[in-house]
Amino acid sequence: MAKRSIVPFGPQHPVLPEPVHLDLVLEDETVVGAVPSIGYVHRGLEKLVEKRDYKQYAYIAERICGICSCGHGLGYCMAVENVMGIEVSDRAKYLRTIWIEMSRVHSHLLWLGLLADAMGFESLFMESWRLREKILDMFDETTGGRIIHSVNQVGGVQKDMDSTMLNDVLHAVDDLQKEMKPIIDTFLQDYTVQSRLKGTGILKREDAISMGAVGPMLRASGEPYDVRMLGYAAYGDLSVEPIISTECDSYARCEVRLKELLQSFDLIREAIGKIPEGPVSVPVKGNPSGEYFVRIEQPRGEAIYYIKGNGTKYLDRFRLRTPTTSNIPPMVEMLKGCQLADVPLLILTIDPCVSCTER
Amino acid sequence: MEKTRLFTLTGRVLKNLFRKPATVGYPYEPVKYPERMRGHVEITIEDCITCGLCMRSCPSQAIQVDRKAGTWTISRFDCVQCGSCVNVCPKKCLTMETGYTQPDVAKTSETFTKPQEEKPQSVNMADGAAGASGATGRSGTGKPVMDPEKCVYCTLCAKKCPQEAIAVDRKEKTWVLDEEKCVECGICAEACPKKAISQ
Repeated sequence: MAKRSIVPFGPQHPVLPEPVHLDLVLEDETVVGAVPSIGYVHRGLEKLVEKRDYKQYAYIAERICGICSCGHGLGYCMAVENVMGIEVSDRAKYLRTIWIEMSRVHSHLLWLGLLADAMGFESLFMESWRLREKILDMFDETTGGRIIHSVNQVGGVQKDMDSTMLNDVLHAVDDLQKEMKPIIDTFLQDYTVQSRLKGTGILKREDAISMGAVGPMLRASGEPYDVRMLGYAAYGDLSVEPIISTECDSYARCEVRLKELLQSFDLIREAIGKIPEGPVSVPVKGNPSGEYFVRIEQPRGEAIYYIKGNGTKYLDRFRLRTPTTSNIPPMVEMLKGCQLADVPLLILTIDPCVSCTER
Repeated sequence: MEKTRLFTLTGRVLKNLFRKPATVGYPYEPVKYPERMRGHVEITIEDCITCGLCMRSCPSQAIQVDRKAGTWTISRFDCVQCGSCVNVCPKKCLTMETGYTQPDVAKTSETFTKPQEEKPQSVNMADGAAGASGATGRSGTGKPVMDPEKCVYCTLCAKKCPQEAIAVDRKEKTWVLDEEKCVECGICAEACPKKAISQ
């Protein structure tokens, strides 16, 4: 047996957009174990729920993370609405669905860019982020913010989209799908990309399930599990099918996310076609009392929101379990047996979002 | 299984060589902001009644309102452009404008002072217990006073009050003002169909 050595990885590393630290146990160049540690960007946002009233906290919930912001706002508002027994109008549900699907598009395009960057494929990185810009512009036009949208509120959404805006979104989605073709082909067929992704980071289906992988991680291991199937917001009326791959490697995770992009385009088109007329928000009276537990599908996987109200305007507790939290154990398992040079890429394939994880 | 190809992105890369840049040379090139863009908060200080609703609704505590001095202060560095203050402002004197504020080297805040009114505010703390029945209120403090002769107890003022400071009982014919909650925004006086409320 070769002599074991420990190589620290992170919290600052060119491939990591956010800080996470790993102690990699190596035998020569092969990783035999990894010990993750987090805690570099903890901000205590869950505790803050005791100091800000429940309507204000919707703005703070969004700011837990820059990439998953739309989903965090939605999950929190849905939990409060359920405690208070508020029925959101259909139009608000559709608008929420359109926005969260747009946010899935921008998150996945961001991830594709980061993946290309981790492989050193800078042109592909630039192409992915250039396309992402189109979706961010649509967010800017429809919500007023590129990253933090501030549209979800308890009782519905703050802003309506008129027909011009819906048309603009539709055009942007059509353009995007057309322009995506070369980069989809590159990610799926290019020799360079395939040689970096195929056969690396294998996570078997049983391991994925027993370690609690969620989102594209789990679906790339062949398990058809997607929380959107529960039919929250307007998903009940739309045709959502989990996208799976049975390859279980990094390539499969890339493939699943690419196909989810195309699925999101279809969902946006379908939602815009079906969107009903009506009010976008209902008046909210009183304070939440009771507890509720909401699950939604974030771009990175299943996120869980729990709130507990005590009848005052301040909540007792807000708890968020983010997809990255549950994807860390499978990631550690996946790293065992890989080469040191593959570690940055494998960490990236779980799409880590550390600021969500630490809150 | 997808087939393997070489030079898949080469065409695109060559095109990019001869295209104009995908980015905009901001700030040297002007940027067209969409209408809804949340850039920064502006105030029409003449219309402000220093009710403090914006200060209390601000999640990042960027706004300070001083009722006595008649000032409205915003720390531009703390503001997160959520639009919460604009949504709650009863006088709609706050607006969200497009475009960003100038960068700065120090964390400064911007203060707006209300122009002096002709009638200075005087605070009468003596009869704080008055108004238990609600029919009589204090005068000169800016708190709403209800005229029992005109009031029809329609509860419209209570419904419109942003602070839920007014309690009206139609059967008992009582009108009670919670002076702690009241922010003197004047929404009740505006809403009253019988003009029974004065400030």
